[in-house]
Amino acid sequence: MPIISVSNLKKSYGELDVLKGISLDINKNDVVAIIGPSGSGKSTLLRSLIHLEEIDGGSIQINDEYLVEQGSYAKPQEIRQITSKMGMVFQHFDLFPHLTVSGNLEIAPKLAKKEPMDKIKARSEELLEKVGLTNWKNAYPANLSGGQKQRVAIARALMMEPEILLFDEPTSALDPELTGEVLEVMKNLAKEKMTMVVVTHEMGFALEVATKAIFMDNGEVVESGNAKALFEYPQFDRTKAFLKRSLK
Amino acid sequence: MSSEYIISLLKPMLEGAQTTILLFIIAIVLSIPLGFLLTLAVNSKVKVLSYLSHGYIYVMRGTPLLLQLLFICFGLPMIPGVGEYLVLDRFVAATLGFVLNYAAYFAEIFRGGLLSIDKGQYEASKVLGMTKWQSLTRIIIPQMIRIALPAVANESITLVKDTALLYAVAVPELLHFAQTAVNRDFTIMPFFIAAIIYLVMTLVLSLFFKYLERKFKFE
Repeated sequence: MPIISVSNLKKSYGELDVLKGISLDINKNDVVAIIGPSGSGKSTLLRSLIHLEEIDGGSIQINDEYLVEQGSYAKPQEIRQITSKMGMVFQHFDLFPHLTVSGNLEIAPKLAKKEPMDKIKARSEELLEKVGLTNWKNAYPANLSGGQKQRVAIARALMMEPEILLFDEPTSALDPELTGEVLEVMKNLAKEKMTMVVVTHEMGFALEVATKAIFMDNGEVVESGNAKALFEYPQFDRTKAFLKRSLK
Repeated sequence: MSSEYIISLLKPMLEGAQTTILLFIIAIVLSIPLGFLLTLAVNSKVKVLSYLSHGYIYVMRGTPLLLQLLFICFGLPMIPGVGEYLVLDRFVAATLGFVLNYAAYFAEIFRGGLLSIDKGQYEASKVLGMTKWQSLTRIIIPQMIRIALPAVANESITLVKDTALLYAVAVPELLHFAQTAVNRDFTIMPFFIAAIIYLVMTLVLSLFFKYLERKFKFE
């Protein structure tokens, strides 16, 4: 039973078709790397899953519930409930600059889940330790490095206890020497069997951590399957050409 | 020039300054929230509301404050039919004029603040499950205030000085008493005293806003 099921998803901006009938299934505990050239629609696909983009046709099912069924969306209240199972980490971190690191972690559980504060505090301490930022809990985002910011962003997403984590090019805005610390956190999440969907240009990470890879080009899924198999024995010329460019 | 003379001048001028300060406080306290509501109206999806508030801001910024004050104090009572019900106390009428005018300027300042907030902030609050209201009040507005603070400080200092326009609608305030003394005693000393009182008021205000800026630095 797939935890995410997409069928015939279509999305266009005016005349431009960005997603041309995407279908895919993602199972629980999968770590899926979505790869492909810029402009292939990877980010749009990811953003559609959590309702940051409205799609024009097709269906998206999360945990067996329809977010969109044949192009028509669920009611706002249902959308909120369905997307609450997912967390998202952005390329540019998008931390709240007016809140401290702990403030960033604690605001959503406080406002959206209305959990008791002691429970929230305990979880935020635990997660900050997990991403190695316990000493930074009272710092403001402006005083953190890019790698630290992204680790805070991951912890912030985990505070809502999602079943699925979506990553939109989590290391693309980082200096190369800072990508390692973020990928390390993601690897640990993979070990803990977190279901993750990662749009990435980090081929090394995709190869090492992903259980499944999806290669997109020009708004279509060209090929998908076991990550190692896709990297080592790509079936299509477009995949071969892309991997050749990216892996060298 | 004796110190006794200066003290005798100070008494009415400081009383005048009280009117100035009272007007300033009422105008700030009312025009900032009103300005923010205007910003929301400008950004509203309800087209009529957006057009109306655009028009309002255009008129308020596009005509002299002095004209607006004269209109409210002397123009409204002349409207046939309803005029007799629109005779307001001068101070109340002038305060109303200041609030309506300054709200338009604050609205533009806040709009600028909102524009400079990255769309990632809205998206991050949304995927974390916050409602639109929660994200507006807890994420967007605090950042907007920080961005708008220097411009709000500037506008507030202008407001202190604009209170001198009360002179034109014959509400006795600081400048009025200075001018009276100048005419009566044929000395320019009252002007200097008035200038010093204005400088003290704007200094206090500048220091207050510097303090706020430090407090909301988020570093």
